[in-house]
Amino acid sequence: MKKLDVYVDELFKNIPQSQQKENIIKDIKQNLGEKVLDLMEQGKSEEDAINKAIVEFGDIEDIRVELESNQLEKRKHARIQLSFSICGSILILALFIFTNFYYTPQIIWFVYPTFAVLWWPLIMLYRWFSLR
Amino acid sequence: MISSDVIRGHLDSIILRLIYEKDRYGYEISKEISLRTNNQFQIKEASLYAVFQRLEKKGIIESYFGDISYGGKRRYYKITTLGKAYFKEKIAEWEETKKIINIFMEGLE
Repeated sequence: MKKLDVYVDELFKNIPQSQQKENIIKDIKQNLGEKVLDLMEQGKSEEDAINKAIVEFGDIEDIRVELESNQLEKRKHARIQLSFSICGSILILALFIFTNFYYTPQIIWFVYPTFAVLWWPLIMLYRWFSLR
Repeated sequence: MISSDVIRGHLDSIILRLIYEKDRYGYEISKEISLRTNNQFQIKEASLYAVFQRLEKKGIIESYFGDISYGGKRRYYKITTLGKAYFKEKIAEWEETKKIINIFMEGLE
């Protein structure tokens, strides 16, 4: 059975990591395992059964297309979130800076909330990068 | 063994029909397909899982974990209400398609 697991891992080697990919690999290994046991019950040797399962597995191109379209959607979503966070933080900072200079021009305090607000676009930037 | 592009275009429907009847797991589906077609058509595991991905994303099927078998829990697939409507639509579409193709395929000596 180990040969089968190695084969499946090898097939999926070039597809980017994702939770969906992990799930699908697990399901496929389980499915092929059952197939091999079934073939062995019908009288095949383990080696023959495993080879038959591998030969009949087919081309993973279709699965790749499905998985990558998921990935693409997520990336698009992350990009929208990033631009939203940038616009949002600019607005908030503009308010702070205005309040600071209009009401208390003698004390420069807007720098402190600026550090706090910057976490927002930073996190979104990180998310966006991690999906690239 | 037939594995033409015509059948490939209808894999969704074939799988939906089997899940429509009752909740099933991956290997059960591929085995059932071979059984019902007398081994004239066998689905490849790779195509099967591509279809699962696609249908699940569209909300046509759902999955859940069932009993434990070789190497872990079996993932069962279940058709949703949307899926049932979608499949009925597919059947009507197939009837129409069949009629159109038959116009050109039948009646020649």
